[in-house]
Amino acid sequence: MDDFLQLALGNTLTRLVFFPAAACLPLLFFRREAVKAVKVYTFVAGLVELALGLLYVAGHPANPGAFGPSLTAAGAGDGAWSWIPSYGIRYQLAADGISMPLVLLTVLLLPLVVLGSFRGIERHWRAFGAALLLLTTGLLGALLAADLFLFYVFWEVMLVPMYLLIGIWGGERRIYAAVKFFLFTMAGSLLMLIAVLWMGFTFHRLTGAWSFAYADLLRLNLPLHTEILLFGAFALTFAIKVPMFPLHTWLPDAHVEAPTGGSVILAGVMLKLGTYGFLRFALPLFPRASLAARPLLVACALVGILYGALVAWAQVDMKKLVAYSSIAHLGFVMLGLLAADTLAWQGALLQMINHGLSTGALFLLVGMLYDRRHTKQFAEFGGLAKVMPVFAFFLVFSTLASVGLPLLNGFAGEFLILLGSFRALGWPAAVATFGVVLAAIYLLKMLQQTIWGSLTKDENRGLADLSAREVWTLVPLCVFMLWIGVAPNTFLAPSRPALNHLLADYKARLVEAPPGAPEVRPLVERLAEVGR
Amino acid sequence: MSPNDLQSLFPEVVLVLGGILLLLLDAFGPSLRRGFTGIALLVTAVAAWAVTEIPYGTSCNHLLESTGATRALSLVVLLATFLSLLASQGYLQRERILSGEYHALLLWCATGLLLMLRATELLTVFLALETLSLCLYALAAYNRRVRVGTEAAIKYFLMGAFVSAFVLYGLALVYGATGSTRFAEIGSALRTSGMPVTASLGLLLLVAGFGFKMSVVPFHAWAPDTYQGAPSPFVAFLSVAPKASAAMVLFRLLEVAALGGASGAKWSKMVALLSVLSMVAGNLLALAQRDIKRMLAYSGIAHMGYLLLALVVLNRESLTPVIVYLLAYTLMNAGAFTIVGMLYTKPDEQHAIADLAGLGYRYPVPGVCLTVCMLSLGGIPPTLGFLGKYLVFLDAVGDGLVGLAVVGVLASLVGVFYYLRVVYTLYMKSEAQASEGLLLDGWGRAAAVIAAAGTLAVGIWPTRLLSWLLAASPFR
Repeated sequence: MDDFLQLALGNTLTRLVFFPAAACLPLLFFRREAVKAVKVYTFVAGLVELALGLLYVAGHPANPGAFGPSLTAAGAGDGAWSWIPSYGIRYQLAADGISMPLVLLTVLLLPLVVLGSFRGIERHWRAFGAALLLLTTGLLGALLAADLFLFYVFWEVMLVPMYLLIGIWGGERRIYAAVKFFLFTMAGSLLMLIAVLWMGFTFHRLTGAWSFAYADLLRLNLPLHTEILLFGAFALTFAIKVPMFPLHTWLPDAHVEAPTGGSVILAGVMLKLGTYGFLRFALPLFPRASLAARPLLVACALVGILYGALVAWAQVDMKKLVAYSSIAHLGFVMLGLLAADTLAWQGALLQMINHGLSTGALFLLVGMLYDRRHTKQFAEFGGLAKVMPVFAFFLVFSTLASVGLPLLNGFAGEFLILLGSFRALGWPAAVATFGVVLAAIYLLKMLQQTIWGSLTKDENRGLADLSAREVWTLVPLCVFMLWIGVAPNTFLAPSRPALNHLLADYKARLVEAPPGAPEVRPLVERLAEVGR
Repeated sequence: MSPNDLQSLFPEVVLVLGGILLLLLDAFGPSLRRGFTGIALLVTAVAAWAVTEIPYGTSCNHLLESTGATRALSLVVLLATFLSLLASQGYLQRERILSGEYHALLLWCATGLLLMLRATELLTVFLALETLSLCLYALAAYNRRVRVGTEAAIKYFLMGAFVSAFVLYGLALVYGATGSTRFAEIGSALRTSGMPVTASLGLLLLVAGFGFKMSVVPFHAWAPDTYQGAPSPFVAFLSVAPKASAAMVLFRLLEVAALGGASGAKWSKMVALLSVLSMVAGNLLALAQRDIKRMLAYSGIAHMGYLLLALVVLNRESLTPVIVYLLAYTLMNAGAFTIVGMLYTKPDEQHAIADLAGLGYRYPVPGVCLTVCMLSLGGIPPTLGFLGKYLVFLDAVGDGLVGLAVVGVLASLVGVFYYLRVVYTLYMKSEAQASEGLLLDGWGRAAAVIAAAGTLAVGIWPTRLLSWLLAASPFR
């Protein structure tokens, strides 16, 4: 019982993950009419969650490499509780330099999303607040789970609130988009479930003990053809979530129909779960298979970069443009991850954060425009800089960050990715560079057609500029965009040990000869590696 | 009859006497009718306590046995009875057919089921089956003013008569081939003599008979019609409890069949085939339904398909996933039918899913409970439905049946689609018109909340349940 209290109330990851879920309960007691109180309450809950995130980081200064093999030694996570002991399933959360930045991004976006939705969401605010908070719990849990069963549970848990966000508060084709989103994600993850089951069972067969712990399953040494099948299941799941090129069709629908808040969380954090999944699970668990599949995946990433950019260029709807730009940007991240190079991985992780910030800001801005004009078509705008100068400033700022202007965050991430992947992959990096040019074209086209030029529509003359609330929604994001752009090393340094550790492990496993039958590496050897 | 026998029969005795008491009260004190549900609930609770008091081992001249598995499944059956009784009160009052017979029949059904679970001998199984079936037929037709109900009951009765014939015929053949009706002795006879044709034919007929009760493809045709016409609170019972007992009998039959030498593998293949057919056909047919009761009927067929996955290869661990799955299925399916019973006014009309449009906001508690039940049926964590699926698939993967497990997850993806349809109709469509005459009584709400909360609570915290099932109970 003391353990339980310590977990729930101490400065732990458990508190961080489950505070939003617990914060849903008081929402039941608000009256239906008390919309304003609900809004303020949800916002405050978001702020508290942000504070908890910062407190956790302040309380646990450095855990280099604390997730994988060294978890038992470093003990950076919340103690491994036997959850379903009969099957060796443990409740175990852990953070390291890879997951923590994404966690912080999530808790930063939560209050901003609430603030940004004050005007756009008109119905069922209690349910909206609850869905956002539960979604945060799901996202954080998936980022921090150190047991694959637990990861799967959180991975699916976050689907339901997002499904409700799109389906209840979305646009006209919301049900179609919501169901498509749900089924696409579920299709991949069910195969991953079978793969996880198989690994847990194999571990049991080989060692006599059930375990689904990440650190234990990393010890599995599998023949190549088995690895390829399992990697296929994992990669499919994550590739759908990223989304990678042929599997991306759910994303534009989901984004266009989702309310602003849903889009921000979807683009800002949920898509990163896909790339995070590759970095954390698919690549390290199956190194040889991932190397074998690399040409195919690199090709998909390249097509995603170029195709996403070209399709974005062709859009007449602002939100769709931003949605397709996500496909292109995440193509870069995937390229960096597949390069398996220290610079590329650092760039990829940084770019995940960058994309969350700049695309989040862009979706918020599109939402603010939509709240005023109830349209997102370029044809309806033009010359907005004259009536909405503050809005124009933020749009230009976020767009330039997204384009990758030096001194803003996008540049640092993309540059590192391109540098690292050129070193590791060669010409694909050169091809990807065209994506940067295309990004400039379609994003500047958006600027040109919305805020520059002359005011052609009479409806736009009376538009009010951003309110103080809206400005404060955007300021934190822009501060970080500038900060990362000016001093990227501040943000790269904390993650570097964890990434390098993971990469060293990955490469070390690549050179081993594949076994003829599944086997488990001895624990001793792993610990020795950690000490290295 | 020794005191030990009496103690082992105590749950059944309690249930039978409770039923008789209710009938007498109905005759002599009709003014007490409003309290009948309370009495019946009390009787069920006492029976549940009595179940936990039965010592492990055999009794009644080795006709009955008590193991961890039978104890757990008995409790599942009584849980289904409990939920169904809670759900029935509002329905019976609304339809003005509240009388002691209903409760008595339901309690006697439970009696038959408990006996069937624990029977180690085929004639006892048959007697229990008949006790159960007669009560079920009467209950299916209980609301006699409803024409669909009578039709449903007749269909169920005809099919049920076939089942009885199958079981009896199979029993005779097995007896002829092995000289015994006891599972253990049949097993040892088969082990020494191999599997004679008559025995395998007999076992096949028996499997078919219990396949009917479990409504697996191709013995499923009665389920949608019967579910649609019968009173919804009763369907909450019919769709879960008989399946629990039938699954146990099927387990015993397959265990015996597996002893029959080389043909054991063939039985495995047959179960695998039944499982795949049920998963695929059940889910695809459910997809096409517009009526929620028919949809749940087909989805129930699919769920029995998942359940059979654990029985393809029998080993010591096979029963745990089955029990967890049946518990999950009982909570979520009984919960769903309870809410369906509350949200639809006239039993005669179609239970169109579209009629649920927007009701999630008007009736928040039933709406949330139905959503939880649907997500659990769809196997979304952290519900018990997910855990059940997880264990079943783990068992299948452990037995080397990765292909079957993949078919299972793909089929369940189809399932997610139609379960989500209920959720989005509840919350994402606008309400057509206010429905009248809904009877959201406290009893029904309680049943819905117990089912939904149980689904979530055990799904999140299954530690105790699973360690009890796996460790504490001697599975023979």
